[in-house]
Amino acid sequence: MPDPLVFMMGKFEARIPTDRLYFESHLWAQMNGDLLRVGFTSYAVRLLQDVYFLDWQIDPDSIVRHKQAIGEIESSKATSTLYAPAEGRVVRFNEALLNDPSLINADPHERGWLYEFATSSSLLQPEEYIKVLDAGWEKTQQMLKNQFNE
Amino acid sequence: MAGRKINVIISQAPGKNPVKRHLEEEIATQLILSGTAEVSVVPHLYDLTSDHTGMLWLKSLKGDLVVLGWLYPRAIRWVLDRNGVKGKVGESRLNKIEDANDDEDDEQQSAIEAQDESPSQGIGALDVPNRLIFAIDLRDDPDPQTYVKEIERIANVMTVPLVQISGIDFQSSSSTQNGKPTTNGASNLNGTGHLNGLSHTNGATHVDHSPSVEKPASAPVVIAGDGIRRRWYPVIDYSRCTNCMECIDFCLFGVYGVDLLDRILVEQEDNCKKGCPACSRVCPANAIVFPEHKTPGIAGAEGGPVEDFKIDLSKLFGAPSALEMAVLERDVELVADGRDAVGATVGIPKRQSGASTKPRDALDDLMDGLDALDV
Repeated sequence: MPDPLVFMMGKFEARIPTDRLYFESHLWAQMNGDLLRVGFTSYAVRLLQDVYFLDWQIDPDSIVRHKQAIGEIESSKATSTLYAPAEGRVVRFNEALLNDPSLINADPHERGWLYEFATSSSLLQPEEYIKVLDAGWEKTQQMLKNQFNE
Repeated sequence: MAGRKINVIISQAPGKNPVKRHLEEEIATQLILSGTAEVSVVPHLYDLTSDHTGMLWLKSLKGDLVVLGWLYPRAIRWVLDRNGVKGKVGESRLNKIEDANDDEDDEQQSAIEAQDESPSQGIGALDVPNRLIFAIDLRDDPDPQTYVKEIERIANVMTVPLVQISGIDFQSSSSTQNGKPTTNGASNLNGTGHLNGLSHTNGATHVDHSPSVEKPASAPVVIAGDGIRRRWYPVIDYSRCTNCMECIDFCLFGVYGVDLLDRILVEQEDNCKKGCPACSRVCPANAIVFPEHKTPGIAGAEGGPVEDFKIDLSKLFGAPSALEMAVLERDVELVADGRDAVGATVGIPKRQSGASTKPRDALDDLMDGLDALDV
């Protein structure tokens, strides 16, 4: 496998493998059969840190709109609603995570995948995702900082 | 009026959750046993119309009030204000997000400070009388003692003469022996200490409209909530509202209006669409509260979720902006009403989004800060 791209989050190296595509909402996507297997990027996992809880609000095999709320995640550092990264169909969820979401931390790019997805939307190349990270990093820090200061 | 006790109103949870009912009853029972307060029980405040017996009872009460309910304190306060139950903000020690320097030393001072107008840019409430209303969220703690102790603390502070600041009205002349109210109520309760009939009184029992008359301490006023329907409407926090009128422009259902002074007002509460918090999202001052919404910021939480200091990464993970969400929610309600969706073409705020201009911080500092935040 070719070397992954790296995005520096301060001192932390977020690895962006080049064997897959990306959504702007910090998810990777890789063809698995005729479906896209979707998971958190190492950038997202670094911000989340230890995942304690993952809950899906939709049933498997649901049609979703772009930005529709589909689940909730809680980690040692953060909580978030999870949103559909594009219009499409969420076909099935990674059952292994429902018992043990820590797989998201242990193996974000393989066993920690979230769900399988079908969409006709276009995705980002790894280089394009790095550009998204570059463009958003300052804003992300600002957001984190503002939330810490509250 | 010597020995007049502080009025404590318990606003019951909607529904019949036995755990919540138990907490309500325990608090009432313990307050009555200790003789700390005059206790009344009313249905869930947010569901009461302003002509409901429960609201009329609240309006009839004079002096300081402690109101406990299953809502954020801000929501309690502004629901009361909306219904003409007005007063200055009493600072409770409960429901605090963070209480860094919690000095025990000068209780009277803190009561005085509580009366100062909080610095804010809102247009403020009108006709606020010189009395304090303490609003307390019962979701804070399952232990009745927490609330009883806090109410005892408040009652003690309030019975200290505050002549220099209190003006004419409230408890300035009611100092009691040792700062503690006298109690005569314990003997009226039965041996178990249980409060008979609190949870199943019917109709508008015991409502007399002369609360200054001494009542036996064991007879709480209980106003039942049978048949009350759930409601959904916005509540304006005038300590934040700047009267910018963006809500009245955005809402297409005629909920908002203005009063004779051209102040924004929720005119037709029941025109509001159940579940729709869209106007709250467009409010630039975060002054519109939907007390029953699941998002704490919309439901009236002070800073964020009460027990939750975690950062919210929703924006990173693709959350729609507040405006996108508001437009979507409004369209859903328009279509449900058989009208056409208008998208972002009508009533959209003209302002620029308040871009933050803070200087950039060192990356490493931030990531270290992230690690150091030991939550």
